[in-house]
Amino acid sequence: MSVKRFFIFAPILLIIVLLQSYFWEPTYEEQTKGNPARLTEFITGSIGDASLLNPVLAADSSSGTIDGLVFEGLIDRDKDLRFRGRVAESWKIFEQAFFYVNPSVRIPELGSADAHTLANFIKRAQKASKIKDPDLAGSLTRITDISVVPPRTYTVKKQVRSSAGVQPKTIQFTVTAPARIKLVLNQVDQHLFKNLTRLLGKNYFESFHGGNYLKCDSHLSQEQWAAFAEELMPATEHNPVLLFHLRPGVKFHDGYLVSADDVRFTYEAVMDPKNLSPRISDYEPVKTVEVIDPLTVKIIYKRLYSPAFATWSIGILPEHLLNSQALKKEALRLGKDPKTFSLRQSAFNRHPVGCGPFKFQTWKSDQYITLDRFDDYWEGPPNYRQYVYRIIPDPLTQEMEFYAGTLDSYSVEPHQVKRLENDPRFQHFSGTSFGYTYIGYNERRKPFDDPRVRRALGMAIDINKIIKYVLYGQGERITGPFVKQTDYYNHHIKPLPYDPEGALKLLETAGYKRNKAGRLEKNGKAFEFTLITNNGNDLRKAILAIAQDAWKQIGIDVHTDILEWSVFLQERIYKLDFDAVVLGWQMDIEPDLFQIWHSSQTHPYQLNFVGFKNKEADDLIIKIRQEYNHNRQVEFCHKLHAIIAELQPYTFLYVSKWTAVLDKRIVIKTVDAAGAVHYEKITPTKTGDYTFYFNRWVKLPQVPNFMDKG
Amino acid sequence: MLSFIGRSVVQKTITLFFVSIVSFLIIHLAPGKPSQVNPLNPKFTPEILERFQKEFHLDKPLYVQYIYFYRDLFTGKTVSWKDNQSVLAKIWGRFLNSLPLFIVGTLITWTLSFPVGIRSAIHRGGIYDQTATFLSYLLISIPGFFFAYVLIIFVVTRFHVPVIGMETFGITNASIAHMIMDRIWHLLLPSVLGATGGIAILSRYVRSQMLEVEGQDYIRTAKAKGLPPDQVHYKHAFRNALLPFVTMFGLILPGLIGGSVIIETIFSWPGMGRMAYEAILARDYPVILTVNFVSAVLVLAGTFVSDLLYLVVDPRIRL
Amino acid sequence: MTPEKEHINTPDYIEAPSAPKHTRMQEFGRMLGQNRLAAIGFFIFLLFFCCAVTGLVLTSGSKPVFDPAMIRLEEKLRPPLSKPNLKALRPDQVPVFNIYLMGTDDLGRDVFARMLQGAWVSLTVGFVAVGISVFIGIFMGGIAGYFGQHHIKTIHILFFLCLMGGTGLILINAVFAGTALLLLCLSTIVFSLSARERSAEEKPSALKALFLGNAVSVDTLIMRIVDIMLCFPSFFLILTVVALLPASIYNIMIVIGLTSWMGTTRFVRAEFLSLREQDFVAAAKALGIGNFRIIFRHIMPNAVAPVLVSATIGIASAILTEAGLSFLGFGVPPPHATWGNILSDGKNFIFDAPWLTFIPGIAILIVVLSFNLFGEGLRDILNPKLRERH
Repeated sequence: MSVKRFFIFAPILLIIVLLQSYFWEPTYEEQTKGNPARLTEFITGSIGDASLLNPVLAADSSSGTIDGLVFEGLIDRDKDLRFRGRVAESWKIFEQAFFYVNPSVRIPELGSADAHTLANFIKRAQKASKIKDPDLAGSLTRITDISVVPPRTYTVKKQVRSSAGVQPKTIQFTVTAPARIKLVLNQVDQHLFKNLTRLLGKNYFESFHGGNYLKCDSHLSQEQWAAFAEELMPATEHNPVLLFHLRPGVKFHDGYLVSADDVRFTYEAVMDPKNLSPRISDYEPVKTVEVIDPLTVKIIYKRLYSPAFATWSIGILPEHLLNSQALKKEALRLGKDPKTFSLRQSAFNRHPVGCGPFKFQTWKSDQYITLDRFDDYWEGPPNYRQYVYRIIPDPLTQEMEFYAGTLDSYSVEPHQVKRLENDPRFQHFSGTSFGYTYIGYNERRKPFDDPRVRRALGMAIDINKIIKYVLYGQGERITGPFVKQTDYYNHHIKPLPYDPEGALKLLETAGYKRNKAGRLEKNGKAFEFTLITNNGNDLRKAILAIAQDAWKQIGIDVHTDILEWSVFLQERIYKLDFDAVVLGWQMDIEPDLFQIWHSSQTHPYQLNFVGFKNKEADDLIIKIRQEYNHNRQVEFCHKLHAIIAELQPYTFLYVSKWTAVLDKRIVIKTVDAAGAVHYEKITPTKTGDYTFYFNRWVKLPQVPNFMDKG
Repeated sequence: MLSFIGRSVVQKTITLFFVSIVSFLIIHLAPGKPSQVNPLNPKFTPEILERFQKEFHLDKPLYVQYIYFYRDLFTGKTVSWKDNQSVLAKIWGRFLNSLPLFIVGTLITWTLSFPVGIRSAIHRGGIYDQTATFLSYLLISIPGFFFAYVLIIFVVTRFHVPVIGMETFGITNASIAHMIMDRIWHLLLPSVLGATGGIAILSRYVRSQMLEVEGQDYIRTAKAKGLPPDQVHYKHAFRNALLPFVTMFGLILPGLIGGSVIIETIFSWPGMGRMAYEAILARDYPVILTVNFVSAVLVLAGTFVSDLLYLVVDPRIRL
Repeated sequence: MTPEKEHINTPDYIEAPSAPKHTRMQEFGRMLGQNRLAAIGFFIFLLFFCCAVTGLVLTSGSKPVFDPAMIRLEEKLRPPLSKPNLKALRPDQVPVFNIYLMGTDDLGRDVFARMLQGAWVSLTVGFVAVGISVFIGIFMGGIAGYFGQHHIKTIHILFFLCLMGGTGLILINAVFAGTALLLLCLSTIVFSLSARERSAEEKPSALKALFLGNAVSVDTLIMRIVDIMLCFPSFFLILTVVALLPASIYNIMIVIGLTSWMGTTRFVRAEFLSLREQDFVAAAKALGIGNFRIIFRHIMPNAVAPVLVSATIGIASAILTEAGLSFLGFGVPPPHATWGNILSDGKNFIFDAPWLTFIPGIAILIVVLSFNLFGEGLRDILNPKLRERH
């Protein structure tokens, strides 16, 4: 019967067709060893796909990795974590300071003075040889120019909100500003005005009331009035200035030269509200970005803000491809409305053009992104011809591709490092990363408001064991909120010891005693709470279980809960509805900890969700933010570190180490002036990753023999 | 016939409307809001969150959002919140990726189930039947990802060929024949995994239908008449047993938009399942709602087609 | 002479009919004997059940015999049948029988204890989920099948919608609109009552006819609800709900149950449609037995055959779904152990500690296979068309 024959042959045919395709498959050997082009490609694996390849718009780490290769910023950090210029060749940091002339106040040695008299007075004081006060002398020597800004009257519109959630109202102020003195300094001096009071009299700045010079067309409350007075007519004002000199001859991938206009355009793109850039808060203190000539850009800030300098590592966007005319043309070409077409909708985000060492080639959604070497890179083209970013969402298949040789690097788990240590094909190295894992306690809830309880809870967990067994040694103890490899970290603070007996004693002083069943209780109420964390992170899940077990041993009943990331964040953390939480911070090197530790950031939806409030700490945080001198900053940071370690608002667990496992054949190749080629091993740098010299990496056909340096 | 079609279409449109409302409500009433920015970056401020909400109309009441969304959907303007691409274009792209997987999987399932099921029915209770039952249930009982890992490790360590992804990486310079064969190889494992479940169920169903038909009197008559067994089974019994399967063709439609998340994750296959899963986690409402809507349309269309086929094929049914 | 009744030579007893008389259980046992695979499946199921119960007893409480949550970080990833390192452990950490029967996982927990605890949890997940879906399915299918042709009046629909809308609005604090809707709801009741009084007397006006007319039949309504539920791909619905609700074992069970009742409804409805016309139903109605009693006491036991089959297979698929959810990270939260949990936690260590994947994987395979074979056997047994003709 033909039907029967069909039923026998159809499946056999199908199976044969499917199976014979095996014979056409290139094996892994053919792909790697038999393929010389493979040596010139660097293939890396990632779990997630990038979203928008635009440094101004993107916030996820995959986009960040690609942006780091395609785009380049003005500066970045070198291997000792000091700033080095990339697109910028050199820079100067200085400041302009302003203060209003207050003719009614008497100045010692001068009497009341108007603007010009005052200016001359300060000039004379500068030239005077004998100034007893060393601080004042120091400040005065830094002043390079004194001038007078004539008085003027202007109007300004501001928005005011009567209560949260209500639409803001626009009001108008008329400002009759008196004359101002402008001082240009060659360095940023936080204490300038404090020192000047020694010359001008203690009350000179204090007695200036900005509100006297303002008129408003609508009624405002006392606090609103005071706030606007402070904003529009401050007695003193610091305007730090960053002056960058750009390197000549740096080109974008399409051949255009990079100029200061591109820097200014990048800044405007970040600040444009239509673009919804997540980096707006970094650039909010900027007052203006001025283009002085095509290779010089001057950035003036509204107030002292030392983390500002580091923000200029953001990739520079090409203005000629993204300015409003270009966007309009693109909108019309795509048939969209030019008025609402913004940077977010541009096809640039899927095909970026920057000035970095690699040029964008293709992006197959959720499969791979390829970048080609940019031959006109200002520092010389990188050794790798191609960089490929493959998206492999499953960690196990990533590992298998790595063994097979079709991946050069992937995100290694600590237990895998152990296994690969002894494999002669691979080299591995690790360094501490920027960020730490901690257990945070909600200080608004009893019993976590008592620092003894928090300390005791920390002492009950054997953190060294966690590092040894769960992380396989890929972690280090951490005692405070700074990045461990910077000098801001106070290495003198000792970590919390593992001491369950001591913990019990501490808890006893706080009123907790063991009852008959072995559980801790105070005033008849048993000590129990809930520890939560987010799902998707096996390490945090392990810590949850370990902490629960450790606390069970000293008699505390702990429930654990794992929540999906978005729910975890929105419903528990942001609404401040938790007892204790296992989380981690991923940070930058800058020691500005305002958002995490300042007492003003303890409201819902802010980042000081544990509710840490300490006046001394607040002072130090503000001082750190405004200090431009590195050594003084370090001093303040050490003090802050000590306070936080004492009060234990978090139990600081560990800072994890990143580990990279690479083929042993990947080395750093440098060509010296004579043309001779040298190979060195890759070593990790303090920058928290190992790709610092990536442009100089090369993969050799065999493992080289490194000669001893002799 | 026409009245049946008309009534059916009207009912299905009403159902579609209710489905759209229900899915909209589920997504919006669920806890958690879309967040583009990594909020644990210490530089994040609540004002950014507010601005996002305004941009995506999240601060308006629900019914206004509903109208906005469906207006955008029908004019083709819906855009994903994660990477600003047109949702319909994204779905189409992923659909083309999932399509070969689906086609090969369905082919394997159907061409293997029928012979197995028929033979099991003919030799009911015999060794073949018992072995077939055991094997097909074995396939359906293994946890999917466990089986996938075991297979991948086996193939990779034994044969040293790549199995993940849609094509071997870096093969773009080879000849057309190589590329086609490469694609077929990469289709093999994932579609086999996807088909395992279907084979068991379908072959069982074929078997039970055949048994039911074989129990009828006219088959007995045919046997008694002395017709060769092949004719009895394939010409008489099978044709009548085929009836429900014709209608099942219509139910294949919804499978087009499906896709197993687990298989796609393990094999790095950029398909629909993974896209929808990531959209759920990122609260990318336009993508989730559009996928839901398209899948509902396909389900309703599928049942409609199968009802229609049933009418056409079975002469006993008259409306 | 008085006429005598003919004395027929009747025996002292009425001879019983010659058909074999078996109780249901005996019949079941006989069929099971014939179908070997189903018998094996049944026995493995019984074995699993006993394991689960003993496991529950042995691993629960604060000082259990086998402790599934005891963390011993120094003993992580030990292979099965290995001896513990007595020097490094405290006395209460040493496992029973001084041996790790199935090795330890990456936090040093005893895998054997976790498998015992997980057996019970997996079993519960399967049974509760299927229980919920069968219950809803039988209820909806029964109503649709039996009352199929009854129509619901428009005014009843209006009443129901207003009730739901009113309570919903009140719950989200739109009190004014909520109470307005509830008042509308009350007025519909009043309207229908008054209409019923007058219906015999006058010819109703067009408006009244609109409100009191038949909108849709019960059957259509329930089938449309089934269609709506079918439009959502079930795995995604489960994933969405599980991802968004707090992770707990009960949520998972309830959600799996609430998304799989559609098949049962269809089967039950189909059976009811044919059984409804049978004579015994007519007889019951004639006796005046109430509708619900007829449905649940008389028709249901006959319709239950396909439900049983799909229930057994449903338990198997619920266990597999739970394993799949654990793989994606949304399964039962720690410290509960389920087989799916152990399997997905172990997948990271497949090269270092393969026993962590193979032991739970094979266990799930055997148990699910046994359920499936048993269900398949049931289908053969309970299908009257396939019974041997005597």
